[in-house]
Amino acid sequence: MDWTDAFPVRKSVPWRTLDTEALVVDVKGGLLYPLNSVGARIWDLCDGARSVDEIVGVLAAEFEAPEPTIRADAIEFLERLADAKLVSIERRRKGESR
Amino acid sequence: MFGVAGLGATARAWAEERYGPFLSRRAPTFGVRVRATERYRPGRTPRPSATWAGGRFALASHPSRAHGDLGRRRVDFRAGPGPALNPDLFRLLCSFLLMQKGGVLLHASSVVDEGRAWVFSGPSGSGKTTIAGLAGDRPVLNDETIALRPAPRGWEACATPFYGSGGPSMARTNERAPIRGLCFLRKADHFARRRLSASEAVARAFPEVMLPKRDDRVTTRLLDTLAALVATVPTWELAFKPEPALWSYLDGLD
Repeated sequence: MDWTDAFPVRKSVPWRTLDTEALVVDVKGGLLYPLNSVGARIWDLCDGARSVDEIVGVLAAEFEAPEPTIRADAIEFLERLADAKLVSIERRRKGESR
Repeated sequence: MFGVAGLGATARAWAEERYGPFLSRRAPTFGVRVRATERYRPGRTPRPSATWAGGRFALASHPSRAHGDLGRRRVDFRAGPGPALNPDLFRLLCSFLLMQKGGVLLHASSVVDEGRAWVFSGPSGSGKTTIAGLAGDRPVLNDETIALRPAPRGWEACATPFYGSGGPSMARTNERAPIRGLCFLRKADHFARRRLSASEAVARAFPEVMLPKRDDRVTTRLLDTLAALVATVPTWELAFKPEPALWSYLDGLD
C-alpha cells in the first residue's frame, strides 16, 4: 500500500485508554485488542485529521527511536489495524477537507 | 430484587429450591413476568445476545429470551422447555441489570477471609472451584459466578445463586464482603504472583464478564466499569498449587 496522502481514521468501536495503554474491542469479531503505549498513541492519533507522515512526526518527537524505524513500525501497525477493520485509510491531498 | 409472576405450582417449588437462600420478602425493584412460550429451533444454536437502546433491552439465551424496560422496571421472560426461570437467561438478566448499576457479574469464585473477599477469576479449568474447595471454614460466596459492585466504601463481592462444578453447596450463602483482591488464576506446582497493570487487568477480566459483548453500548459500559474496578481493587495474576497454604500466601499479597 502507498502511504503517501493516507489519513487513518478510527472506526467507531468501543475503546478505552488506561494509563498510557489502551484496549480496543472488535465487537463484530468478539475480540479485544490490548495496545501498548506506542500503539495507544497511534490509535489516539488516528482521528482522520492527521496524515501518516504527521503521525510519524508526532511519534518521533515523543519516543526515542530513529524516524525510519518509527515509520516502518507505525505503518506495519496501521496495516494490522486496517486488516482488522479497526481503522479505515482515507486518501486525500494535504489540506483537502474530509 | 425481583418479583416473579407467572410460575405454576411446580415451577414455583423448583424456583424456591433452586434460589432458596436468595429469596426475600422485601419489596421487589423489578417485576419479572415468566411465560413458557419458546421452543428449540432446528439448526445452529444462536449465540447468547444482549442489546440495549433507549431504555429498552433484549436478551437471548437459546431458546429462552427476555425483553424489558428499564424505566418501567419490567421484564417479559419467555422461557423454553425446562426450568421456567431458566438459570442461563436469569443469570444473563442479572448480569445486564447489574451492569446498569455500575457492577459486573464475573466468572469467578470468591472466599471471605477475615471479613474481606478474595475473588478468583479465570476460564473454566483455571482453578476457581478448586480454590473454593480449599476454603475450610471460610465462607464461600460462590465457585463460579460473583457479583462485583461499587459500594460507598469501595467495591464489594456478592454471592450469587449461579454455582459451577462445585454444585449447589457452593451457592448456599447470601453474603457480601468488601473485596481484598482480584486474582486471575493459573494452576501450577508452586505459588507465584504478579501485579497486573490496569490495562492487563481489564483485558483479563473482560472475557470473564458474563455478558455477550457484541453490542457497542454494552461493551463500552463494560470497559468503563472494569476500568473503575481495577482503579481501586488490587489485581494479580496468581499461580497456585491446591494446598491450604494458599491462604497464608495470599496474606503476603497486601
